[in-house]
Amino acid sequence: MARMGMVFDLKACIGCNACVIGCKQENSLPDGVFFTKTLSEEYGVYPMANRVYIPTICNHCDDAPCEKVCPTGATYTREDGIVMVDDAKCIGCSTCAVACPYDQRTQMEEESFLKGLFGTGEITPFEEQGYGRYTPGTVTKCDFCSQRVDAGLDPACVVTCPTDARIFGDLDDPDSAPSKMIRERQGRPPMPDKNTKPKVYYVN
Amino acid sequence: MTIEDKVFSGDTLRVGYRFQRHWDNSMAYAFFCAELGAGLFFVSLLMDNVAGMILGLVPVATGKPYFHLSHMGVPARSWRAALRPDRSWISRGLLGLSALIGCGAALVFCLLFGSSFGIEADSALVNLLKVLAGIFALVTMTYQGFAMSHSSAIAIWNSAILPLASFLYSLTTGVAVLLLLPGAGGTTDLASALLLLLLALGVMHLMLLHAGWHGSPGARTSVELLLQTLYAKWFWGLTVAAGILLPGLLLWWAPDLLLTQLVACLGILAGFMAWRILIFKIGVYEPIMSMNPFNPLH
Amino acid sequence: MASQTPTANSLKSGKWVPSTCKMCLHSCGNLIHVTDDGVINKIEGNPTNPSNNGKLCPKGNSAIMRHYDPARFKQPMRRTNPEKGCGVDPKWEPISWEEALDITAREIKKSMDEDPRKILPSIEDFQKFNVWAWPLAFGNFNFYQSGGTMCGGAYHPINGMIHAAFGCANDAKYCNYWINNGTGDGFSSHLHAAAQSNWVAKARTERNMRVVSIEPRLSIGSAKAEEWVPIRPATDRHFAMGMAHVLIRDGLCDYKFLKRDTNAPYLVGEDGYFIRDENGQCYIWDAKNHCARLWNDDSIGEIALEGNYHVDGVACKPAFQLYKDILAECTPEKMSEITTVPAETIARIAHEFAEAATIGATMKLEDGRTVPKRPAAYNYYRGAQGHKHGVQTNHSFKLVNMLIGNIDVPGGHMGVVLDTKEVDINHCEPGDSGMLKTKPHQLGPIPGFNWPPSTFHMMDYFPLGVHPPHLNLMVWEDPEKWGMEFKPDVIVNCHSNPVWAIQGPRNKWFDFLRDMRFIVCVDLIPTEMTDWADIILPSHDVLESWNCTMIEPPHTEGQCFRQPAVEPLHDTRSEEEIFYELSERLGILEAYNDVINHTLGFAGHPELELELDRKHTDREIARRKGLLWNGEDIDWYMEHGHSVTEKRLDKWYRPWEGLRLHFYIEEYISERDKLRQQMEEHDVPFRDEWEWDDYQPLPTAVLDPVHEEPAEYDLYAITFKDIQLNFGESLSNPWIKDIVYRDPVHTGLLLNPKTAAAQGLEKGSIVKVESPYGHLYGRISVSEGMHPETIGVSNALSRMKSKESGVLPAGGHYNDMLPYDLRNTDAASAQPETVCKVKLTRLEDWPDFLKEGRTVYDVIEELENKRGKGGQH
Repeated sequence: MARMGMVFDLKACIGCNACVIGCKQENSLPDGVFFTKTLSEEYGVYPMANRVYIPTICNHCDDAPCEKVCPTGATYTREDGIVMVDDAKCIGCSTCAVACPYDQRTQMEEESFLKGLFGTGEITPFEEQGYGRYTPGTVTKCDFCSQRVDAGLDPACVVTCPTDARIFGDLDDPDSAPSKMIRERQGRPPMPDKNTKPKVYYVN
Repeated sequence: MTIEDKVFSGDTLRVGYRFQRHWDNSMAYAFFCAELGAGLFFVSLLMDNVAGMILGLVPVATGKPYFHLSHMGVPARSWRAALRPDRSWISRGLLGLSALIGCGAALVFCLLFGSSFGIEADSALVNLLKVLAGIFALVTMTYQGFAMSHSSAIAIWNSAILPLASFLYSLTTGVAVLLLLPGAGGTTDLASALLLLLLALGVMHLMLLHAGWHGSPGARTSVELLLQTLYAKWFWGLTVAAGILLPGLLLWWAPDLLLTQLVACLGILAGFMAWRILIFKIGVYEPIMSMNPFNPLH
Repeated sequence: MASQTPTANSLKSGKWVPSTCKMCLHSCGNLIHVTDDGVINKIEGNPTNPSNNGKLCPKGNSAIMRHYDPARFKQPMRRTNPEKGCGVDPKWEPISWEEALDITAREIKKSMDEDPRKILPSIEDFQKFNVWAWPLAFGNFNFYQSGGTMCGGAYHPINGMIHAAFGCANDAKYCNYWINNGTGDGFSSHLHAAAQSNWVAKARTERNMRVVSIEPRLSIGSAKAEEWVPIRPATDRHFAMGMAHVLIRDGLCDYKFLKRDTNAPYLVGEDGYFIRDENGQCYIWDAKNHCARLWNDDSIGEIALEGNYHVDGVACKPAFQLYKDILAECTPEKMSEITTVPAETIARIAHEFAEAATIGATMKLEDGRTVPKRPAAYNYYRGAQGHKHGVQTNHSFKLVNMLIGNIDVPGGHMGVVLDTKEVDINHCEPGDSGMLKTKPHQLGPIPGFNWPPSTFHMMDYFPLGVHPPHLNLMVWEDPEKWGMEFKPDVIVNCHSNPVWAIQGPRNKWFDFLRDMRFIVCVDLIPTEMTDWADIILPSHDVLESWNCTMIEPPHTEGQCFRQPAVEPLHDTRSEEEIFYELSERLGILEAYNDVINHTLGFAGHPELELELDRKHTDREIARRKGLLWNGEDIDWYMEHGHSVTEKRLDKWYRPWEGLRLHFYIEEYISERDKLRQQMEEHDVPFRDEWEWDDYQPLPTAVLDPVHEEPAEYDLYAITFKDIQLNFGESLSNPWIKDIVYRDPVHTGLLLNPKTAAAQGLEKGSIVKVESPYGHLYGRISVSEGMHPETIGVSNALSRMKSKESGVLPAGGHYNDMLPYDLRNTDAASAQPETVCKVKLTRLEDWPDFLKEGRTVYDVIEELENKRGKGGQH
């Protein structure tokens, strides 16, 4: 079966975080919750100073520690490799959150659903039609837009990225875009020493 | 920029270390209650001290569930936590903990009232209950450390020393409290045992800190936080001085005095509570990727 | 466990409506998803639009939160609190549309009847020129909105002079060596941010295009560039002239292009005018036959670019020689002193640039033409162009490009037009003497010379400029001095936030506003401007209205269609309806329709011209716009969302074929003299303090006056935006706030660490930043990505309190520190200086007025110190 993965092109990424907002749109995320983020890091000394933009997302690890430690089985891996969270089973113990070396798990807090995106308690129709999928207290994360993947579409973040810095596809298919990019540009996973076998790679 | 210029990102989009706060104070209290209670129960079981056994079961049956449920995101579903003992230390611990309460209560009941029902203190049932309760107590004393060490995320926790720490602190606090209880025969032996346990704790801390200091950058950062920067006051003051050094001195100097035993016990408990809280607070996530050529994570 | 009903918003049952984004002034194509329940729950880019190829920037992704913003105006309102101020509660009282329009029309008419110049329009909408041009219906050229000040004062006229276009960009399709100077084009800002980022990223990843970025701050573009060249602010012209010096010195120019396609060989007299014959035709020196010949004389043996000659006894030289003379002192060493860029760097970049240009190379286009290929181009925009000597500065960048012959050719530096409205319109026309007809007035007609003035902001005296709204303040302070016979007392504001955007100290602008008898605001959400309104007329937002336009697209052309995705949420009306209602009440309906016909290009197309005596809807206007472009009616546009294609090659590459470009812009001499004469004839009292030397046909190395401020001001302050913020208001949007205040560059005043240390400051120090004109407060952040003489103030730190708006103030406003006088305004273009010199004073604590309420710094502090849980990075 497939192994869905992603490659981040660090040359292309401009740190605009359009992906972040595309994801928030798609997933009706409450205030302060991010399923993906693009970080920045400055290094060097003037005038040889530089800054790099580093997109981050759940790595949907082949050997996912969050799945291993989950006491209820709420976190599980689909056949195509996407690591999912069954909202109905999660008890919010946060063990997955302290098991993930990439800090990609988020606990949904009731307060954010009550205050709303504008922080005033006024819930917009957008939020009303979206919040219902979450149970406050559960600990969840990016699911590679699994429903979109089932419909043959790319994840929301991939589709909107202005510089095509996010490449999504089947890592088991040697001709897929991510497979080719990993091969041709020496893709490397983040923190390989954590031994979680991420399915997300970075190229320079 | 060198590794010394550590960036703590907070909630910003800057590459850097983030504090873990998923397991926070209420988890710390829960862990404290479970380990103190199970440890006290276990040593009381070994010393045939029913008062100690009852006293030990109390925090396990009340404090641990209370604080743990208040930590849970969806407390009403917490029973589900027992569903994956095949892979989760939480599940194993919950089952073991529940069994401890069950067997322990049954054991205490038999010891106290069993003769009314024809169950003698040396009967097979009671002995079975003792063994089972003992095993489940051991599980409860250690499983939290195993749960913490189970993954590679928080580097300072990712060490075999964590379950050992749980076990040692369980024993130590158990003995420290048992020392104060009437009928804890052989007080001097207990006090000597406690002294040895304090020594073992000291060694354990050294091992943990050494491993952390020379481990991954995340572990080293945690150790710095504990020993040198943000939490140094609390660690040196409570965990080390009040929790190990002072009780050690007191017990070595006047092991028989109730007063020193009391002060030592309080000190040990305070030191343990502090450590339980601190070990959570110093947990950090390492930066996912660094492009800084001076950063070992590059 | 997948549920049967999708929870992913884009998959929920509903429809996709193709439309056009308007979170900035450009027009990327998008798709709006509306659920069966009529809720807009996803917006994506439209992949069929070759401009943005299905991409949206963070602003475009955030539009839903503008639409559902609870602070949106829900009905017309009238102020009941007589006290006005930023953050002061107007105490709105809801009123009916009838009443609101009646009051508005009545108040406007009161002043209009006295003198139409008493109306101060504050309208700026690049996507709706039909609304923007409304004041022309009553002959009013006043201007109280921001367009032109920071970004376009001299930029647009020079683009009009050189390309007959509005904007400019590099050709990402073929460019190999891309210089960005003071611009984020392709990375963070400017033209169609999502679209340009996409095109530039392709060039970088697929063809390894090299980027060199020259600016004082390590912006996104500089971070991605192969080389960041830090430069002292307001010295970019000197960098460009240093490059030009090297190109000429080392013989690295495209001489064929200069001789054939520009007026560089035209002979110029000592008075700055071309030498002309009795028919006004210009001369070129024939170096082979040692004589002057007319420019169109086929018998010219060899065109001279250099030398000193005489024509009929009149001393003259080719324009190229004039620039060479000017550049003689612009050695890399001398320019290095001014710019702080090492001389070797200036020279090296000039050489790399020339080498990458492959002068002499050609390529065959798909339309059969063979054109020069020059895959090296020098792009620039706001940061580099916004200075006192705006014209000379913009011109100097153009000349670097011209010297290597890359104007409007594959890989080169391109003119970018606004909406050409008709597919067959080529914006290039022949001018005099074989030269391209210059089009410096891309934004509509200007008042021309008048004495006494017909405009409050002195536009009567900027014949080649873009409006200078900052001069409204200068004139208001002393109207008699400037000859004003009238004083505006009514502001008609639409889709504009001048209280935020125009430079000069806020407290004085507030007094200016308090002097207004009546202010009406047509807008969506509370802003710094709407806090001053007497009447609010709430308009539809971009998901509820119709439009058809295309703004300044590089690489593509067509029309981007906007259609409502849902019924209006609130009791709002379209801007068209509002202005039609007002026009009818004011008796200017026919005049307004006439203005629209001319502005939108319907004039001359009888079947499309709006009937003069009727009010028209936004839908109808959009329909006719679409028809005008490609003959397709509205149902076609409703289905497709756009008619955008890649630009037709003859309109993109060398659209001026056969004409000569203005290497030398004589018009600056002729218009200067014409204006001076007009001022003389009319005895204009301030003619002697007019900065006539600003008018230059070629750049000079004069320093901008900002460099001559008193020495106690020892740092340069710059301001900047990034892609979350450019060309629009977005900080009221929670999704934008989420990413802006977590980004280190927007969380403090940026200082180089060594500079901070030298000033006794560190990260977190509270400072007062003072220029000779104003001040602000802030907290220091250190970054190695800052030129040591510069302090960077993100635009995200320059908002003010506004009632009910989610926007947070920081510590003041950068614009307070900028001048608004003639000394710091380019007489040739009205471009004001946008950099200032400042001094820093460390404070022990915030001033009292910043301690009440919540500021941006409170939010940032919480975020930085947060040790809370939940997927933080």
